Amino acid sequence: MTTESDARDELIDLAADFYDQFAGGKIPELQLPTRTKSNIEYDTESGVWTYGDRTSTRSANSVRGARKLLKAAYTIEFLANQLDEGRSSTLRELYYLSESWDNDEAQFKSQNESNDLVEDLEIVTGVTREDFHMRPEESGATLMGPLEIREQTRRGEREIHCQEDVGEGGYQIPNNPDMIEFLDDDIDFALAVETGGMRDRLVENGFDEAYNCLVIHLKGQPARATRRITKRVHDELDVPIAVFADGDPWSYRIYGSVAYGSIKSAHLSKYLATPEAQFVGIQPEDIVEYDLPADPLSDSDVNALESELDDPRFQTDYWEEQIELQLDIGKKSEQQSLASRGLDFVTDTYLPERLGEMGVI
Amino acid sequence: MTSFQSTIGDEEGIAEELAEGQREISIAEFFEKNKHMLGFDSGARGLVTAVKEAVDNALDATEEAGVLPDIYIEIEEVGDYYRLVIEDNGPGITKEQLPKVFGKLLYGSRFHAREQSRGQQGIGISAAVLYSQLTSGQPAKITSRPKGQSRAQYFELIIDTDTNEPEIKADDETTWDRPHGTRIELEMEANMRARGQLHDYVKHTAVVNPHARIELREPGLDEPMKFERATDELPAETKEIRPHPHGVELGALIKMLEATESYSVSGFLQEEFTRVGKKTADSVIGNFRDVYYGRELSWTPPRAHDDRDVAAAVGEAVANKGKAATADFAEGVAETVANNDRLSRSELATIVGNVAETVEDDTGKTFGGTVRENAVDAAWRAITGVDADGDATGTAGDVTGTVGDAGGEEAGDEEAGDEGAESPLVADVYALVDEATSTRKDDAAVQAMADALTRRFLNLDGDAFRIARDDLERLVADAANFVAEQHDATFGETARENVVEAFWSRARTVPDDPPKVRDVAGDRDTSADLLAAMRATDILAPPTDCLAPITAELVEAGLRKEYDADFYAAATRDAEVHGGDPFIVEAGIAYGGSIPAEGSVELLRFANRVPLVYQRGACATTDVIKQIGWRNYGLDQPGGSGLPNGPAVISIHVASTNVPFTSESKDALANVPAIEDEIELAVREAARELKSFLNKRRSMQQRREKQDVLGKILPEMADKVSEVTGRPRPDIDGALARIMNNVSVEREVSDGTVTLVVENHSDVNEQLDITDIVSTEPTDPSEGTVVDMDGEWFVQWKPEVPSGDERELTYAVDGDAEFEVSVGGVETEKLTVNA
Repeated sequence: MTTESDARDELIDLAADFYDQFAGGKIPELQLPTRTKSNIEYDTESGVWTYGDRTSTRSANSVRGARKLLKAAYTIEFLANQLDEGRSSTLRELYYLSESWDNDEAQFKSQNESNDLVEDLEIVTGVTREDFHMRPEESGATLMGPLEIREQTRRGEREIHCQEDVGEGGYQIPNNPDMIEFLDDDIDFALAVETGGMRDRLVENGFDEAYNCLVIHLKGQPARATRRITKRVHDELDVPIAVFADGDPWSYRIYGSVAYGSIKSAHLSKYLATPEAQFVGIQPEDIVEYDLPADPLSDSDVNALESELDDPRFQTDYWEEQIELQLDIGKKSEQQSLASRGLDFVTDTYLPERLGEMGVI
Repeated sequence: MTSFQSTIGDEEGIAEELAEGQREISIAEFFEKNKHMLGFDSGARGLVTAVKEAVDNALDATEEAGVLPDIYIEIEEVGDYYRLVIEDNGPGITKEQLPKVFGKLLYGSRFHAREQSRGQQGIGISAAVLYSQLTSGQPAKITSRPKGQSRAQYFELIIDTDTNEPEIKADDETTWDRPHGTRIELEMEANMRARGQLHDYVKHTAVVNPHARIELREPGLDEPMKFERATDELPAETKEIRPHPHGVELGALIKMLEATESYSVSGFLQEEFTRVGKKTADSVIGNFRDVYYGRELSWTPPRAHDDRDVAAAVGEAVANKGKAATADFAEGVAETVANNDRLSRSELATIVGNVAETVEDDTGKTFGGTVRENAVDAAWRAITGVDADGDATGTAGDVTGTVGDAGGEEAGDEEAGDEGAESPLVADVYALVDEATSTRKDDAAVQAMADALTRRFLNLDGDAFRIARDDLERLVADAANFVAEQHDATFGETARENVVEAFWSRARTVPDDPPKVRDVAGDRDTSADLLAAMRATDILAPPTDCLAPITAELVEAGLRKEYDADFYAAATRDAEVHGGDPFIVEAGIAYGGSIPAEGSVELLRFANRVPLVYQRGACATTDVIKQIGWRNYGLDQPGGSGLPNGPAVISIHVASTNVPFTSESKDALANVPAIEDEIELAVREAARELKSFLNKRRSMQQRREKQDVLGKILPEMADKVSEVTGRPRPDIDGALARIMNNVSVEREVSDGTVTLVVENHSDVNEQLDITDIVSTEPTDPSEGTVVDMDGEWFVQWKPEVPSGDERELTYAVDGDAEFEVSVGGVETEKLTVNA
């Protein structure tokens, strides 16, 4: 990991590249990996998916490209100053802050634009945005389980036990989980859960206590911090990770970004992805086996499933079999559909059975 | 009120009684009641029409005299009336003609002339005089000074509406400062509500007559509107042409026939029509004979094995000529006949005549007219089995059922009279029918058709089988109906047409002389036949020197003069013909500049250089413009049809010896397909230029915008990176140059070596075409070719410069040389030449 001054130097180096291009009579440009599904490759060494060799160029030769590079120059200045002053800001703040810049052309037109630009800077400098002191809005994702941590807060150190020192809501994952230190734990495995309803069900039923399980709430598509802490739990505490999500194509993508890395942040896959994470369910197979209440697949579900069949991250025997089965039965089920067998079915029967099969417990 | 109905039949004198109330109406009187037909339906419009008529006259008069028009228009309020004054610098009008020109309706020089001119009927200006006198009671005041005369003539006149004759109120000599010309002053009840149209008319006249100077003064103008001339070139002088055979109507033809001094139709055609020489006249007369007399069907003469012995028949028919001469004659005829594939009776007569001449020469015997006729009859009977009375020989009697009405009840008779089918012609007819119909027709049906046709042919009057084409069609149709009824075999439309064509194409035009002009003129049907023959003949399009197009160049100059636009284009089509009248269509487009961008485009319509101001919606030009897809050409067109929107002026000029208008007031062109097609082609031609202009402009605009934006952003970016890195501001000229000038050509000259450096900063390979014109002889060129052109040397290269690369093109010169480089192959906006 980089230090603050390293991050600042990387940014200044990038500006210096632009400077040198100008001085050499060249049109400034920026080379970036092409950020599409077709340009991600499996890295056998780390077991995650990262960007391939194809690159795209942002050149000041077009009006669009020139505007992007101008914004980059302004953003570099802003980030460098922020690091100098030891402050931090959110992505959204950056978007609004651009309004105060003296140049209309440098202002962001939308939040996506500023988010993308920060990602571009991460890629070319090799520095994560956390190290630029840029954070996303709080995602509100939480941990619950027998884990004791020490967090560096801006108001001093806090030692927290993620079961005993927290309320039913659990411990809220901070934006930069690298500020956390693991002190002690009694975890056998971690279960990353997609929906809040299921997470609450597990906690109410005392699943974390009964199985020494760390329940990680993903809260939909997981934020970087959530994925980072999942990876750290796996790597540093050496426990298996299981992902428990809905039985539809969108949830498989949630699993995919936990296990393989997302397309947008493939440059950080080595830092965020946990290739060893396993998928608990709901599997298409479970819909058949447990005869779960199901909805028919919509057209967009079918498209998403077919596009997953093309996705290099899902080209494994397991996923091909599951996805084809789902296309075959034409159905999808939510995690909560397990409640059709009673509120305790998930903790008493389904999870123990599935996790047993998977060899997690 | 008495009802005539109740008394009809009771009284004899009713028609006479009615006749008493009927009397001749003078044309002037007619106009008085039908002002709207001539464009005088309201005070507002009457004023515009009066100006238009007077100005049209003035332009025609000056052009005819070869004078550049200088026209002055003034409108003044005089109490309750408006006074209109129009002056021109034309040739003036003689004292004798003047009252008639202005004071008699339908008096003019051009109505009978096939020549492009503004006025045609001779109604316009006298109608204006009449309108003024009817509304204000004032006479028209006319001053005219013919060229070369020291004094001008002044008249005051009114039109006697009962007699359509001018009535002169004053007739004086006067002085006038113009050396020649005409001035007319009219007072009329009017208003200026149509000021817009008036201005349009005058402005559009100036557009379409760039050789004219026009000045307009009217009460609403602070300063007179002046339109200066854009060219000193008069429109080409037009020649009057005779009518084209395809362009006359029956009534006109009969009139011409009555009036001509020619005796023969051939002479008449060559004398009275354009594009008709001896050859064309002959084809017309051939067609005329076919229509008038019909053709003679031809038949296959008997072959050697046939029992129809022509020689024997001829031999029998000749008496008292001696054995040898008779035999010579008979064999000569038979031999010649057998040499022909098919023969008509007239052809047979010619053969007999020829053989008779030969035998006469050889033997000294005389074969007179009667002998020859007998021989023809006999030989024809041998060939066709028909005798001179038109009866089929050896048959019991005439076939019943006449052409055109073979009905079911006659079918029985036809079957009974089946002997006709034994005629030697049946086989001949069968062969043609069989050939003409599809192979799928079954043989019995073809045979039945051949029988039915033969019976009908035998039934024709005389023995020559003369029949006109329409009669042949009827006959075939009749036979086909009969066959359909009796034999349940259909001969459809196509089969019938094919059969008709098979016989018609083999039938012969008769040698009879066409009727004389006198006889044609005296008979309406014969005249109609002649007209049909004229229309059926291919005749060269009329000559176009009777037309004076404005020419594309001057159409553009006219627009340029009156519209301050960014772009002009014009197109003139080649002459085409509608109904025998040649016409030329021209179109022009002006775009951008100070032309208002809101609303639909301005459409200028012209016919023979006269602007059409009213009834735009009813005009063929408007229809054509509306159905063109203007989005293709870069103009906005809501809904994809209708008048396009945008800052454009479209002008359309139709010049013709006879412009088809929808009404006498000449406001709108009639929808004549031939003219509409040409209008569309002309407009599209000009519109294509507009499209490429707009495309280029759009890409240049994008380029300019890019340059503007990058010219602002890049320095700012440079400032920012120098601030962040803490270094001095970098020099960004090189980077800017690369972005701004995608391809640059720069000249360096040192020590007698000329180097053209071509740098390609664009992202594609460029294939350039560079020519350097040098004043002294270049030597040692790198690649390239050198061509000596009368003391100037053209050095040419066609270098391909890859994206981001540069090339050096060199040659050597001695001493001081002058250079001029031209670079092609690259769009100009991508190119910077510094050489």
